[in-house]
Amino acid sequence: MRNRFFTWILFLSGGVLLIFTLLAAYRELTPEWEKYQAQYKEQIIKAAKDDAAKKKARQLKQEVQQLYLGALNRIDRCTSCHIGVENPRMASAKLPLKQHSGAYLKNHPPDKFGCSVCHYGQGRAVNKKEAHGLGHETHWDFPVMPLKYIQSSCTQCHDYETLTAKGYDTIAKGAKLFTEKGCRGCHKLDGIGGALGKKLDIVGSQPIAYFPMRHVEGEKTTYNWHKQHFTNPRALVPESEMKISVKPEETDLLATYVLSLRSGEMPKAYRKIKGRMAVGKPDEGEALYKMFCIACHTDGKESYYDEIFNHTIPSIKNPAFLKAAEDKYLKKVLEEGRAGTQMTSWKLAAGGLGESEINKLITYITKERPSSKPERFNVARFKPDEKRGGELYKVRCALCHGKKGEGELGVNLRNPVVQGADPEFLAITIRDGRAETPMPPFGKKGLSLTEQDLADLVSFVRTLSKTK
Amino acid sequence: MSEHKQIGLKAFKHNLKSALKSFAGSYLRGGKPTSDRTRSSAIFNNFFLHIQGVKTHINTLRPGYTLGLGLLSFFLLLATTISGVLLMVYYNPSIENAYNSVKDINYVVFAGKLIRNVHKWAGEGMIILVLLHMARVFYTSSYKQGRQFNWVIGLALLVITFGINLSGYMLPWDQLSYWALVIVANIIQSPKEITDSLGLTGFFDLGGFSKELFLGGLTAGKESLTRVYLLHIMLFPILMFIFLGVHFWRIRKDGGLTKPEVFEPKAMDAALTTPPEKKGGLFPLNKTYGLMELAKGKTPAVDRDVENTVLSWPNLLWAEAALFVFCLAGVIVYSYFIDAPLKELANPLIPENPAKAPWYFLGLQELLSYSAFMGGVGLPGLALLGLALIPYLDREEQHVGLWFSNRQGKLIALESIAVSAAVIIGLLAFVINFGWFRSWWPNVPQLLITLINPGNIWVGFMILWSMFVIKRTGSTRMGAIALFTMFLVSYLIYTYVGTELRGPNWDFFWSRSAWPVH
Repeated sequence: MRNRFFTWILFLSGGVLLIFTLLAAYRELTPEWEKYQAQYKEQIIKAAKDDAAKKKARQLKQEVQQLYLGALNRIDRCTSCHIGVENPRMASAKLPLKQHSGAYLKNHPPDKFGCSVCHYGQGRAVNKKEAHGLGHETHWDFPVMPLKYIQSSCTQCHDYETLTAKGYDTIAKGAKLFTEKGCRGCHKLDGIGGALGKKLDIVGSQPIAYFPMRHVEGEKTTYNWHKQHFTNPRALVPESEMKISVKPEETDLLATYVLSLRSGEMPKAYRKIKGRMAVGKPDEGEALYKMFCIACHTDGKESYYDEIFNHTIPSIKNPAFLKAAEDKYLKKVLEEGRAGTQMTSWKLAAGGLGESEINKLITYITKERPSSKPERFNVARFKPDEKRGGELYKVRCALCHGKKGEGELGVNLRNPVVQGADPEFLAITIRDGRAETPMPPFGKKGLSLTEQDLADLVSFVRTLSKTK
Repeated sequence: MSEHKQIGLKAFKHNLKSALKSFAGSYLRGGKPTSDRTRSSAIFNNFFLHIQGVKTHINTLRPGYTLGLGLLSFFLLLATTISGVLLMVYYNPSIENAYNSVKDINYVVFAGKLIRNVHKWAGEGMIILVLLHMARVFYTSSYKQGRQFNWVIGLALLVITFGINLSGYMLPWDQLSYWALVIVANIIQSPKEITDSLGLTGFFDLGGFSKELFLGGLTAGKESLTRVYLLHIMLFPILMFIFLGVHFWRIRKDGGLTKPEVFEPKAMDAALTTPPEKKGGLFPLNKTYGLMELAKGKTPAVDRDVENTVLSWPNLLWAEAALFVFCLAGVIVYSYFIDAPLKELANPLIPENPAKAPWYFLGLQELLSYSAFMGGVGLPGLALLGLALIPYLDREEQHVGLWFSNRQGKLIALESIAVSAAVIIGLLAFVINFGWFRSWWPNVPQLLITLINPGNIWVGFMILWSMFVIKRTGSTRMGAIALFTMFLVSYLIYTYVGTELRGPNWDFFWSRSAWPVH
């Protein structure tokens, strides 16, 4: 054979190259998570109740699962193996397919929070060893945290009172121990404390290399270090002068606490800590009124024309107004606002007040509602004449409410709340006027328009939104 | 195809059928080689291939002569470059993202981990191979007969290889990267040791200036990463390929690889080559002229080609192809089993202890522990200067193309191994056990240590011993063999010491397992 020496080398090496390329391709195409996802797929196909569900289950794609959490600057790929974490059907499945315990994921949806922000671990990894981060060779400082310390993560967003109220009191107990066992006598926290021990400010975020790990028993993690250090400081740090006397179960509480002392802050959108945040929403009628209404409506007893708004601000606590206005009407105005004026829509999707808060406001506003109801007008008695109403309007109403009802001294009559109001309410208002406001009574008590006049006016007013 | 001229649709069908063949013919100007003449023109007329000669000497093809080291280095460079470009698709050179982008390459990019491993091992393999190649070139006296300048170019390539490896080491921005960067920056600052001793730093802070230029600031940080990235993906590669081009060109112009003056093809050479096509004796039947070339010698040879050469097509190309696949196979196997290391994210507050440069610089780091300036600048500079001077100080023209020149050369090499090993180990034992000046006289001026330390003593000894060999043997070549061999031995021993025997605080330990656990 010509060139047989090099030919042999070429073909042998080529063979080796081919074999290892194929081996490498095989290794890439059969990642660890694939078998878990295959198991999951099998299980949900079996659990599918009908053919449509079965079909959908069969179409399940097997691919890397990734949660991109921009605000937290994390990527979590835990759900590549923990594929059933949000599926209630997996409640009794084996790990890693098992559903997450408790109802935590309802308020902490994975697509907003991921997993590692609470559980630590290496979110970017896609195999168990490196994702869980245990073992020196993974070179990951924060392996998956033992569940007994998990509350150290809650305090990134929640305050102790809320947590304790919901039954998660480990962390509060740990903090209490910290304050009652004299730790700060030697350890500074937030700049205050003794100087014999190390500063504790970000001890929960320190890497493994920060701690002397030589004498740690078991896994050399920061979690074990803290627990064993609280149990016996000199076991880990022979030259330590630390004086501590706690019961064995208290070491876990203290460990939870110190592990909660982390660097960095959660983005504002995630934090729910009372007192630390900017003002939250009050919970009670008067406080709500003061927070949202008082700037424009002042005490609500009088309506007045505001030069800056170029509008009349109606009196909402005016007893005469309250007498005529039903709660249903008030609620509508609060929720929808008055288009064309400065009165905002306050419903949850707009101004952000929930139903209970609006109800509390209404209860507060109507506190001084006179117990007597106004005399019924019964608009239905009359056959209204719009045209005549229009003539009357021009003479009697346009001066304050504007030629087209757009309002000036008087309120804007074109807005949906007025337009959608019960004609009875309109009639009573025109008849009786609004005490403490410039709106005079036009009925018997005042300018003495006839009831037919009033009915015509009501029907004309209700056409105002249609005129250009 | 000399049939009747075809026209129209018939022609079209015919052309379509023979498209592939005619493409192959168009690609090589002269068509697929079928004769010696066309084999010659395939090389001669090809843009890429014509840097190689049309004919190759049989000695060049002998694996035992070159061990294919130069080619392997080049092929490793190709593997590193291609894998590097692939990595650039995902790597992000900012300190916020670099580490995570490397993690993502490892975890989610298809074959990302393999490609990263290939890049790392081919890159570091290149260092070993270029050092071996340099040794081969030296020991076969291939820096002679007009090849002196190419040796210097090779040294430039050596420096670039070290530089490109080092700059790549710093890109993942993990603890290894960061602290290597800090160490290298401090090495760059080492002229300060001299200017401080002479009181010159106030006027001329060469060390500080160089360090700031390298780091892009006073400390290692995001500017440093940008500069190191620029060096790694652009400046060093450009320099590498320019110098490589010159290096290959010089090989050609200097007459190809060296060969011994007296050369006889052996039986085993038949396994390496395709014999030339010599048809019909001295006077071919139908040609009036064929290949014409100038050659040494008086009579035409019938059973071999001129001057013991064979045609490069296919012989040289086949050998190169075999070596290329061999190289790739080796890289893939190694990369399949062994992962490129990646430690924790860079943490300026937690130094690695010991903070070590990559392995190929650990010999230097050992010398550094004696004197910053000498270990970082002085001795490496001296070593490079010494290496560069070899072709100019040893101009004997005998024994070119023979490993170790002759029996005496082999003996001198062995002797040098023994002597250098003894002296180096002796110096190390002394320093490890007894320390040096500052351990005995804490207030000794730094300049004295800079001038007199184990590193200087060793280099001084090397030079003196080589001169002694020259005198003893009456041959500059023997002196060169002594010097180069001692250089290799010291590189090996110091690298081993720096890698395996130095632990936290650069203290001596017999093995890694003896290092104190933190």
